[in-house]
Amino acid sequence: MPAESGPILAVSAVSKRFGGLLALDSVSFEVQPKEIFSVIGPNGAGKTTLFSCLVGAVQPTSGSVRFRNEELKGLRNDEIVTRGLVRTHQIVKPFRDMTVADNIRVGVLYGRLRLRGAKARERVDEVLGRTQLTHRAQAKAGVLSIGELKRLEIARALATSPDVLCLDEVMGGLNPAEIQQAMGLVRALRDSGLTILMIEHHVHAVAGLSDRLVVLNFGKKIAEGRPAVALRDPAVVAAYLGDEPEPGAKA
Amino acid sequence: MSALLRRHPLLPVGLAFGAFLLFAPVFAERGTENDLWNMSFFVVLAAAWNLLGGFAGQVSLGYSAFVGIGAYTTVLLAKAGWSPWLTLPVGAALAAAFSVVVGLPTFRLRGPYFTIATIGVGEAVRVIASGLDFTGGSSGLRMPPGTFDFTANYYGMVGLALVTLVLVAWLQQHAFGLALEAIRQDIDGAEALGVNSTQVKLQAHAISSALVAVAGGLFATNFQYISPGSVFDFRLSLTIVLMPIVGGMGTLTGPVLGAMLFSYLQIKLLASPALRDSYLFIYGGLLIVVMLFEPRGIVGLLDRLRARLPRRRTQAVAEAHGAG
Amino acid sequence: MQKFVVVALNSLLAAGLYATMSYGLAVIYGVMRIINLAHAGLMMLAAYATWALNDRFALDPFLSMLVVAPAFFLLGMALYATLIRWLPRSQAGPSIQSLLLLFGVWLVLQNLAYAIWGGDTQSILTPYTMESVQLFGGRFGVPQILVFGVSILSLVGLNLVLRRTFLGKAIRAVTQNRDAAMLSGVNAGQIAAVAFGIGTAFAAMAGSMLSTLYAFTPDFGRSFLLKAFCIIVLGGMESFTGVAVGALVLAFIENFASAYTSIPVSYQDAISFTLLVVVLVAAPGGLPGLWRKLDRRVVAR
Repeated sequence: MPAESGPILAVSAVSKRFGGLLALDSVSFEVQPKEIFSVIGPNGAGKTTLFSCLVGAVQPTSGSVRFRNEELKGLRNDEIVTRGLVRTHQIVKPFRDMTVADNIRVGVLYGRLRLRGAKARERVDEVLGRTQLTHRAQAKAGVLSIGELKRLEIARALATSPDVLCLDEVMGGLNPAEIQQAMGLVRALRDSGLTILMIEHHVHAVAGLSDRLVVLNFGKKIAEGRPAVALRDPAVVAAYLGDEPEPGAKA
Repeated sequence: MSALLRRHPLLPVGLAFGAFLLFAPVFAERGTENDLWNMSFFVVLAAAWNLLGGFAGQVSLGYSAFVGIGAYTTVLLAKAGWSPWLTLPVGAALAAAFSVVVGLPTFRLRGPYFTIATIGVGEAVRVIASGLDFTGGSSGLRMPPGTFDFTANYYGMVGLALVTLVLVAWLQQHAFGLALEAIRQDIDGAEALGVNSTQVKLQAHAISSALVAVAGGLFATNFQYISPGSVFDFRLSLTIVLMPIVGGMGTLTGPVLGAMLFSYLQIKLLASPALRDSYLFIYGGLLIVVMLFEPRGIVGLLDRLRARLPRRRTQAVAEAHGAG
Repeated sequence: MQKFVVVALNSLLAAGLYATMSYGLAVIYGVMRIINLAHAGLMMLAAYATWALNDRFALDPFLSMLVVAPAFFLLGMALYATLIRWLPRSQAGPSIQSLLLLFGVWLVLQNLAYAIWGGDTQSILTPYTMESVQLFGGRFGVPQILVFGVSILSLVGLNLVLRRTFLGKAIRAVTQNRDAAMLSGVNAGQIAAVAFGIGTAFAAMAGSMLSTLYAFTPDFGRSFLLKAFCIIVLGGMESFTGVAVGALVLAFIENFASAYTSIPVSYQDAISFTLLVVVLVAAPGGLPGLWRKLDRRVVAR
C-alpha cells in the first residue's frame, strides 16, 4: 500500500469526441483525498461525459486518468468500480424489479470489498440506514418516490465501498428540505473518509459544500479554484450569462 | 426451512414428485419409465438453459450444440473402450470449454444481436459435425455393444435433473443469482456496480452447457445411436428454448412446468401422425401466444390467477402447502 | 486478371440479390427496431408461391413477382395489424419479445408450407434456367443476370418512393428520429404498418428470385436470413446506401474467398456468420461507424 500522499485522482488532458462533437477538450485537474470537489458548468458543458470517462463507462479519446497513481485508461467500468471509484447517474436507473435491499446488495457483493454472508448483510443494513431507506428495504425499486430514488442511487454507489464517490446532480428535482438533507449526507460521507466529486446545478449547494471546483464550458476548463474565487471569474460569469468568451481570453 | 417454504410453496410437491420418480422403476411399466426418462431429460435441458436465458436474459438458440458435444464425446470414448459413465465429465468439460470459446466473442453482443449470433453458431456446428470424419458424418455413430442399461441410465437422468434443479436454486439464492438478475434488468447498471458481466455470463454459459452435455451423453447411451439428425435435430433445439419460455423464463418452476408440458406434447405428437406433422404450428403458436399475452409464461399466468383469488383462499392454499 | 474480372462480376450479380433480400429486414428494423426473424419464412413462402404459379399457370417466375410482391405487401400489413402492433414498444433497442414472436411466426409459416406442399425439394425450371452468356471469358447464367436486373430496378424504384413521396419521406423520418417525426404529425402506427408491408414485399421478391436460382424446402431461408442480417449490420442497420454497400462487401468476400482459397463450398455460409460476429464485435456501428472512425483519424492528423 503506497503512502496516501498527493492527489487521489489526477485527470490530465482528457478529451472525448463523439463524431464531430468535441465533448471534452483536454481537461485537467487533481483531486486531493477527502476533498469535496465540484464540477460545474452550463448545460452541455461535458460534465456528465467527464464522469463517464472517469469510471470507464466510455473510453476517453485521449488523455489519462490516474487513480491512486494507477492509470485507469483501458479499464472497464466494473474494474474501476472494484478499485474504489464509482459514480451515480443523473437519470436514475435502479433495477426496477428488485427490492431496494437487493439493489444495494449488488454493489455490496460485487463492489470493492466483495463482501459475503453476515458481513454483506451488515453492510446492506448500514447503507440503508445512512441513506434513510431502511423502512423501504423490501419495497420494489420501481415504486419509489423521486427523493427515495435519488437516495437509492447514492446508496447503490455507496454499497460498492468506494474511496472516491462521483455524484451526478443528486440534488436535482429535490425540495429545499431534501436538499438540506442531501447536503448533510454529503458532508457526513466526506467526514467518514470518502473523497467526493460532484456535479451540481444548485450554486448554493456548491458554494456551501465544495472545497474546490472546476468550471467547464463547451468541454473546456475555464476556471478552477475555491468556490468564492472561481465563481467570480469573468469567464465563468460570461459562460453562465451566455456571453461567448473570446477565444484565448482565458488560458 | 419455513423461509424456504414461503419462497417456494411448491417445494414439497416437487420433493414428493422426486420421490415418485426415484421409485417409479419398482412399479411402473417400461413405457411409462421411458416417458419419465424423457421428462427428466427435458427438465435438465430447460432448467440449464434457463440459467443463462431466463435468469440473465441471454436467449441462445444454439444449445443443441452442447447436447451434440456430450453425445459425441460419450460415443467416441465408449468406442475407445471407456465406461460410458466416465465419459460424462469429459463431455461436460469439453462443452464448457466450447461454451467459453463461443461466448467470448458473442457475449459482447447484446440482447437480440446475441440471439442471432447463436443461430449462426448452431448452424456452423451442425455443418461442421456433418462434414467431419470422426463423427461418422451424416450417417451417424453407434455405441459399442454391452453399454445399454436402462435402469442405470434412468437413475442417471433423474439424478441429473434433481442435481440441476438444486444447483440452479442454490445459485439463485446466492451472489451469482443476483448478478444474473442484475444483468438481465440492466447490464450497464450491473457493470456500474462492479459486476464483470462478461465473466458472469461466461460462467452461467459454462455451467449450463456442461449440464446439457451430461444429458447429451446419457441420451447417447440410452438410444445407442446418434447422428447430426438426432442430436442437432431442429425440433430438439427448438424444444430446449420453448420449454423455459412457455413455462416461465427466469423462474425455478417455469422450466419444470415447461418440461412437463412438452414431454406430454411429445408423447401425443409421436402417437399421432397428424399431430406430428403440425408440431411447428403448435410450437410456433405457443410462442406467439406467450409473447403476446404473457411473456412470463405459465408461471406468469398462475401468478395472475392467484392475484385474482380472494386473499383468504390464497393463505389457505399456502398453509396447505406448508402442512404437506 | 481475367479470373479476377469474372469473379468480380459474379460478386456484383450476387450483390443485387443480397441487397433486395436485406432491404426488407432493414426497413422493418429502421422503423420499428424489430429484427424480423420471420423474414426467412416469408422468403420461403414466396418461393413456393412463385413455384405454384409457375406449376399451375406456367407463369414466368419473374412475371409472377408482379402478383407475389403486392400479395405479400398485404400479408405484411395483416401480420402487423394482427400481431406486431400489440407488442409493447421498447424505447432503446429491439426486444427479445418481438424477436421470439416473429420466430413463432416463422415456425408457423414453415408448417404451413409443409402442410400445403410437403417436405420434398422443389425447384423451378424455365427455358432459360440452363442458359448462359459468355462475357470476359466467363459464363454467366441468364437467371443470375435477370435477378440482378430486377433487383436493381426494384431498389431504384423503392429509392424513388422513399425520396419523392410523402409516405417515403415519413418512413425515412421515423427511421431517423421517431419522436421528432411523431411531433411533426406523422402517424407512426400507420407508417409502421406500411413499412412492415414493404419489408414483407421485399422478402417476397427475394424469395421469388431465389426460387429461380436454388432448390428449396420449407426449411429454406435460414442461411439467407443470416446473410441478410450480416449485410444490414455491415451497412449500419438502417440506411439504404448502407444496405447496398453491405451487400457488395459480403458478395465480394464470399466469391473471392471461394475462388482464391480452398474453403470448401459447404463451409461458404460460415463466411457470412464469421463476418457477422467480427463486425458486431469489432465495429458495432458497421461500415459507416468504421468509416467515421478512420475519417476522424485522418482529420486529426
